[in-house]
Amino acid sequence: MSDHSDNRKAAPSITERAGQVAAPKGTERSHILLILANNAPGMVDRVVGVLRRRRAQPQTISIGQSEIPDVSRITIQMNDSEVGVEQLIEQLRKIVDVRHIVNLSAEQAVARELALVKVNAAAESRAEIIEIGNLFGAHIIDLAQETVTLEVTGSEEKIEKLVALLQRFGVREIARTGSVAMTRDL
Amino acid sequence: MQSTATISQMAEEARNATAHHVHEARDARELTGSQILCEALIREGVDLMYGYPGGAIMPFYDALTSYPALHHVLVRHEQAAAHAADGYARATGKVGVCVATSGPGATNLVTGLATAFMDSTPIIAITGQVARPFIGRDAFQETDILGVTQPITKHNFLVKRIEDLAEIIHEAFRLARGGRPGPVLIDVPKDVQNAKTLYSASAPISSIEHYRVTRVPHPSATAIEKAAHLIGEARQPLIMCGHGVILSNAYAELQAFAGKTRIPVITTLLGLSAFPETHPLAIGMPGMHGPAHVNRAIGQADLIIGVGLRFDDRVTGKVSEFAPHARFIHIDIDASEMHKVKRAAVPIVADAKAALTALLDAVATGNHDQWLNEIRSWEAQATERGASIERNLECPDPICILEAIRAETGGDAIIVTDVGQHQMWTARHYTWTRPNSHITSGGLGTMGFALPAAMGVKMGLPDATVWVVAGDGGIQMNIQELATLKQQGITVKVAIMNNGFLGMVRQWQHFFHNHNYSETPITGPDYVKLADAYGLTGMQITRRADVQAAVRKAMQTGGTVIIDFVIESEANVYPMVAPGSAITNMIEETAWESED
Repeated sequence: MSDHSDNRKAAPSITERAGQVAAPKGTERSHILLILANNAPGMVDRVVGVLRRRRAQPQTISIGQSEIPDVSRITIQMNDSEVGVEQLIEQLRKIVDVRHIVNLSAEQAVARELALVKVNAAAESRAEIIEIGNLFGAHIIDLAQETVTLEVTGSEEKIEKLVALLQRFGVREIARTGSVAMTRDL
Repeated sequence: MQSTATISQMAEEARNATAHHVHEARDARELTGSQILCEALIREGVDLMYGYPGGAIMPFYDALTSYPALHHVLVRHEQAAAHAADGYARATGKVGVCVATSGPGATNLVTGLATAFMDSTPIIAITGQVARPFIGRDAFQETDILGVTQPITKHNFLVKRIEDLAEIIHEAFRLARGGRPGPVLIDVPKDVQNAKTLYSASAPISSIEHYRVTRVPHPSATAIEKAAHLIGEARQPLIMCGHGVILSNAYAELQAFAGKTRIPVITTLLGLSAFPETHPLAIGMPGMHGPAHVNRAIGQADLIIGVGLRFDDRVTGKVSEFAPHARFIHIDIDASEMHKVKRAAVPIVADAKAALTALLDAVATGNHDQWLNEIRSWEAQATERGASIERNLECPDPICILEAIRAETGGDAIIVTDVGQHQMWTARHYTWTRPNSHITSGGLGTMGFALPAAMGVKMGLPDATVWVVAGDGGIQMNIQELATLKQQGITVKVAIMNNGFLGMVRQWQHFFHNHNYSETPITGPDYVKLADAYGLTGMQITRRADVQAAVRKAMQTGGTVIIDFVIESEANVYPMVAPGSAITNMIEETAWESED
């Protein structure tokens, strides 16, 4: 689940966010929030509601089952200052269904995203597409008259690189999951 | 803010908590959802609620007549039910309860819930909902009230199974009063109210995990030590206290702490009456309508000890110029308030009472008399200036009305104000001494709050004298509650500061919109006739000389009395800080009606 609607607008600087401590410009960095929350009706609504109301700018949000029954795991990727993120975390903690939140920097996290990419594949380019896919460890999950669909897993950068290489064949559709992440054990 | 914690330890904690204890008590009886609602409310100590019946809540009202322990007050508009529950909660510290039907009944509660949410007061709203099979089908009087109230409640519940009802009610009460208090809504479908299940009044109330929402954190020892160090170093410190002191009942602790350190005390709008204004260390209210010496002191302070407040924009003005030389010790029960507006040198996430108790032990005896004297000298200058301004002595003046109320009640009354000029005059010029005697809608600024809230205050504190001070705009917003007051035989005294304007908006138009009085002149009914029509007593006072006698007469007259004080029509609240500007940059009074 990727929040494209907000990204299209020029993102307001975090320093302009109402009611927040002014953080110096350029202190934003990438954060990954891991949230464990009871899978109660309306929980997702509550979490997303706090993000909206507190004017956070998530890049991706992915929601799925965690290792605990009836507890969902939400991974949110966002750029913000340390102060902004800490504020947001404390607001999110106040949601009754939220059990735990961890804020990870890119270095502290093992993060992966899955993407499906449907590419125009005329007979003469098909072999080349498959070869590029192989270099990225992608699987071919569908093959049709005119298209090849690749499944690729990895970091955001890896997926973006693959998509860039496939552009010249004509990318018809991309479906990305957004990152899921875990703490990197030492 | 535990960014280093790992998620694995939580998983174990969560697993342990899933074992759910099912209790089968010997006294279990089969009851309907409506009866369980009543039983559970009684078990939570509820004896009073405000509400309005309607289709989807009728089974509950049917059960209610079998529970005489629950006194229900029929309001004339659901908004008033929420405000009355709020007033009751603010006055007593207990949870206030309001009830409404689905759809319009529920949406009418919204303003009241938002008011309680902004000011952190514990109320429970019980709303009827269309029967489960109709939910999501746009049924008659169906509203997604969970969705509507999600941003203005601490939490809300839809009761989907009758078996969960009792537990949800108890959980809702814990959530409402725990941690930073706030409103919680329970939406009960009509068929759940009619469904039956076994209920035991003695079954233990299961403790579902509440994570951080109901936690009352204790101050960390290192934070207290650091704070004590800063306090010891400070030369021009200030204590700024807010609603949190009242909510945690920390009056004695605040006085002891201020007394030991001899630091001057500022009280925010919602902190008024947390610290007696007759105390030599009390200096007044900060912010947009704070007196000049307070804002000036903030501008020069080197340490601000904030206790139970959130540095609202009406307090800070332009944040970057708010207390520019000060470091901040910020005590609040809600961790999300830390660093929200001002970066705190020492954030103390704790209940105000616990934090002040710990600080009191940690600090050395201090003396800031020189600093206090300096502030007092600024205050004296302003007083002198004010005295030199020629005033209209003919018509009742807001200050003399407040002085009369204070004199006639000995300062023991609870004053409930509405929103606007009269609210600021009352905040500034009534000398607050009785703890928790000032009740107002601060954060949301809800006009129409005072009259219904006063009803809740009076019913919560039946022995107290309750005065409503309202403007002629706000009083007309929930004036229908005069009928409720009459029907219930509740006595509140109402002082209307009637200037024929939406005065605060007019004042802004005066200063910031070129005197363009757009839609602010307002008429009202003849309040004497209106009071009479409701079976109450009304008076109109147009001369200053008659103010005190009128207040006395109101006190001597039984039942609710309304006094229509016809005040100067274009008086302003001074000083004033323009929104968004530094609080040290004040518009001061020059002469009465100098604008003409």
